[in-house]
Amino acid sequence: MGGRASILLVMGFAFVLGYVSMNLNKFATEAVGNMTGYFENSASHNLALAGANAGLAKFYQDTTWHSAITQSFNTNSMRGSFTAQVVNLTANKAMLRSISSYPSSAWGDLHDTVEVYFNRTSQNSFSLFAWMTNFEGNVFWIDQDTVWGRVHSNGALHVNGKPVFMQKATTVKQFDPKPGTGTNKAIFKEGYETGVATIGFPTDLSEIVSASTSGGKKYPGEIWVTLSPGTSADGDGKAYVRSTKTGPIIDSVSLSDPTFNGVILGEQNVNIQGTLDGALTVSSLKSVWIQDDVLYESNPLAGSSNDILGLVANQNVTVADNVPNKTNCVVQGAIFARSGSFLAENYNTRGLCGTLQLLGSIVQDTRGAVGTFSGSTLNSGFSKRYRFDPRLQDPAFRPPYFPGYGVKTYAITNWWESYRVPRPS
Amino acid sequence: MSALFDVIASMLFGGTLFMIVLTANDIATENQSTYNGDMLVQEMLTSTAQLVEGEFRNMGFGVPEHQRTITYADSTAISFLCDLNRDGNIDTLKYTLGGTDELLDTQNEMDRFLKRKVNTGQIMSVGAVTTFKLRYHTRDGEVLPIPVPWDRLTEIHVVEVTMEVQNPYAPYRDAAMVKSGERNALYSSSLWQQTRLASQNSRR
Repeated sequence: MGGRASILLVMGFAFVLGYVSMNLNKFATEAVGNMTGYFENSASHNLALAGANAGLAKFYQDTTWHSAITQSFNTNSMRGSFTAQVVNLTANKAMLRSISSYPSSAWGDLHDTVEVYFNRTSQNSFSLFAWMTNFEGNVFWIDQDTVWGRVHSNGALHVNGKPVFMQKATTVKQFDPKPGTGTNKAIFKEGYETGVATIGFPTDLSEIVSASTSGGKKYPGEIWVTLSPGTSADGDGKAYVRSTKTGPIIDSVSLSDPTFNGVILGEQNVNIQGTLDGALTVSSLKSVWIQDDVLYESNPLAGSSNDILGLVANQNVTVADNVPNKTNCVVQGAIFARSGSFLAENYNTRGLCGTLQLLGSIVQDTRGAVGTFSGSTLNSGFSKRYRFDPRLQDPAFRPPYFPGYGVKTYAITNWWESYRVPRPS
Repeated sequence: MSALFDVIASMLFGGTLFMIVLTANDIATENQSTYNGDMLVQEMLTSTAQLVEGEFRNMGFGVPEHQRTITYADSTAISFLCDLNRDGNIDTLKYTLGGTDELLDTQNEMDRFLKRKVNTGQIMSVGAVTTFKLRYHTRDGEVLPIPVPWDRLTEIHVVEVTMEVQNPYAPYRDAAMVKSGERNALYSSSLWQQTRLASQNSRR
């Protein structure tokens, strides 16, 4: 009797403890299952990312590639597959989509998607850059240099100190030395990129030449242009054209004239000064000489303004060494020196001239000089105060017929990664 | 005499068995509670982590290149722009950490709400956490000061997220077992850290 009771007792205990143990095991397994699920989701996501990167590499080698790329993995460390393909959305937009497939132990096949969007704009204005050069020469960016707006060079950018780049800085070559090493302590507010595609300069100013003969103004000899803001009304400025500095006015161009397309071109040197009310590009097949301050009637930094000036030279844009420019010089406009520089005449012998304040953008073939320095002490010429005109960030806003460049590669505009909404509990 | 001996022996044996059953029950309850807490905590953590991670990865989607993506960045709060629904309209997302006084009806005195707000919508709780910490790194790896100054927000390249979840309820410990500075309940805890969360949209 006692023996049978003992067996029943032991069996009862074994059953109860077994049940409890089974429950505990279940909880423990499910707790681990959560983390396994998270790992599998991450693995599926990483596969989609790998597919996007593989697709990008292939697409950048050949932008006509539009077929699918598929890769499967079946190793101890990685299982699953991805498929990536580029599809055209519009004539100027494309998308790379990468979809992964990961065999989950608990949830069946997991899929994740990464989509990369591209924009291909055929033509961009050079005025998008606050600063751009083909060759930087041996000039260094140093302490206290601050650039608002985008910076690009087709050459190497030399840094010695702690200049601040408020927007993205790009170079076809590299920074010298590398950022964060040696003397390069530059601060990049919006990052930097090296090894980007070359942005080619135009080989001539044919677009402006053509515009000057079809709605614009073209002068065969040297001209002196004085800008006048007209009345306080908006857009009624004028440009008075002389053939000598103090000679009679040979032409008066009304900027509000609807038949005028905004381009003034001189086949020889063009000299400029005054205050602009309207949109105008003053260009020269030789060089543009800044004889005195060139201002907007409405300062865009002080409020709303639609005044916009382009100074375009086939050679140099030069701040003349004259009496008005001995004590500071203010230039408001976008500057383009196709085969030359933006520089100050006699920059190393002209004496101290105060500050050169520029509001606009500077695009030049070779970096020019406006003064000489010993450390941070100005020895001759101007000290620089360059500020990017923020309105020029809008690709649609530029001086009339301001030179542009073709975009040769697809630029990534957006990157989307799908993510799993938490499972309902 | 023999019968009396049997009764006493039975009582001793029965009492011992009874004590064993009670102890086993205590241990089983405590273990079950601990395992259940672990499971609950990990469920809460993974679901919150997936949401945070997913939305942070898409930070800046649809935002024009020259426009600021992160509008506010602090150690426990962040506000950024993203076209969340991909409908062409840019949304403002804000993550903030609530105070411990907002979650007093749970036993755990350290848990608090992690809140999410889209545009001018209602503030929603997306989970209960005990830690939600953000750090911001530049492209060169420099850790930015907190809160990140307005003029340095565009330098943020990587967001480091640290999150800890504890279960809201746990069995109390025997008072005699609790040492000075220790908590009086057996809370399960799980930590998640993403040290290199970089939105590709910040690299355009």
